[in-house]
Amino acid sequence: MDTQHLIDTLIDNSRPVQRLPRPWVRCALWLAIAVPYLALIVVMMSPRPDLATKFAESRFLIEQLAALATAVTAAIAAFAATVPGYNRKVLLLPVIPLAVWLGVLGQGCISTWLHLGSAGLSLQSDWICLPAIALAGAVPAIAMVVMLRRGAPMMPYLTVALGALASAGLGNFALRLFHAQDASLMVLVWQFGSVFLLAASATYAGPYLLNWRSVVTNRSV
Amino acid sequence: MTQTPDEPILEALMQAAQQGDKQAYARLLKAIVPKLQVSIRRQRPFLPTADIEDLVQEVLVSMHAVRATYDPSRPFMPWLMAIARNRLVDSVRVYARSKANEVNVDEYPVTFSDDAANNVVDSYRDPEALRKAIQMLPQGQREAVELLKLRQMSLKEAAAASGTSVGALKVSVHRAIGALRKALSKD
Repeated sequence: MDTQHLIDTLIDNSRPVQRLPRPWVRCALWLAIAVPYLALIVVMMSPRPDLATKFAESRFLIEQLAALATAVTAAIAAFAATVPGYNRKVLLLPVIPLAVWLGVLGQGCISTWLHLGSAGLSLQSDWICLPAIALAGAVPAIAMVVMLRRGAPMMPYLTVALGALASAGLGNFALRLFHAQDASLMVLVWQFGSVFLLAASATYAGPYLLNWRSVVTNRSV
Repeated sequence: MTQTPDEPILEALMQAAQQGDKQAYARLLKAIVPKLQVSIRRQRPFLPTADIEDLVQEVLVSMHAVRATYDPSRPFMPWLMAIARNRLVDSVRVYARSKANEVNVDEYPVTFSDDAANNVVDSYRDPEALRKAIQMLPQGQREAVELLKLRQMSLKEAAAASGTSVGALKVSVHRAIGALRKALSKD
């Protein structure tokens, strides 16, 4: 097919398209889907009995806000990554809240060690965190993939990694509301570690979830 | 890449094209093809004209598929060139992969006594069974096999003849070959 023939075919097949909203609007839409599901999960798993007390603790609040901010900024960055020509600096958005989140947990570990010595840093098994975060992040992750597939697959690995970080971060935010585990080292290893593991393993699915072949086949001439 | 005053406003044309205005889309495509040709030729000066034209078409099809991602409040050319760069990088990846799987041979075994020349014929010895199996395929798959395998058309020619996309044809022919292999191995 020569280029003129292709152009004629593209023109013949050009139907009105619904323009994608800006990344932060898409993030708000994603949260509108994810938050009711997370609320349902927290209610079903029954909120931790000391939740009211925990909300009065500044460390818990900062940690939760950092987790939420990581999820929100990672989602905005993931949506921006599917827009060709978008300023790539936006991809660094999650770095600051992620650093705060990690910093709060690290600071908690250090202060426990200073108060209780090495005995305060004992690590027990808490495997439930991984499936619980995966369960709480499942619907946000599915919604994220569906929404990302409406964009352009410019950077599949990074986009899916950011989307998975957003979903798992939100899952962890919900987990902290029903799972009474506050030892910084435990939270760092089992909860933050689960978020990291889920985001890192989802990265490998990037090219399968987002690729030009499926975009061109499904939306083209 | 700058716009001269007499050039159409690409942002406005794309905005109209997103709303289904075919005339605006035609003007837009007409305006961007030379820009793409120049840009790709500059980035891949070693490629023959036919390959550059293939890449231009690749970018046009990709742009068409993701035109919903264009925000009219932003400049059009950076958006288009980001797609073009991305597709060029992909094309290098595909080229490297295909080269890695290519085997250079000095002489092809064409004599009938050579085993290597007969292995394909041996597995499909019954042309009647093959003809029947092709007839049993669903319409889309049968058409893909007829155009690509029997009439030996290129993907682009077959896409033009059938009015479908290159991607859809690839999928159809892949499924058809699988179905034929299954049907013939049963026999």
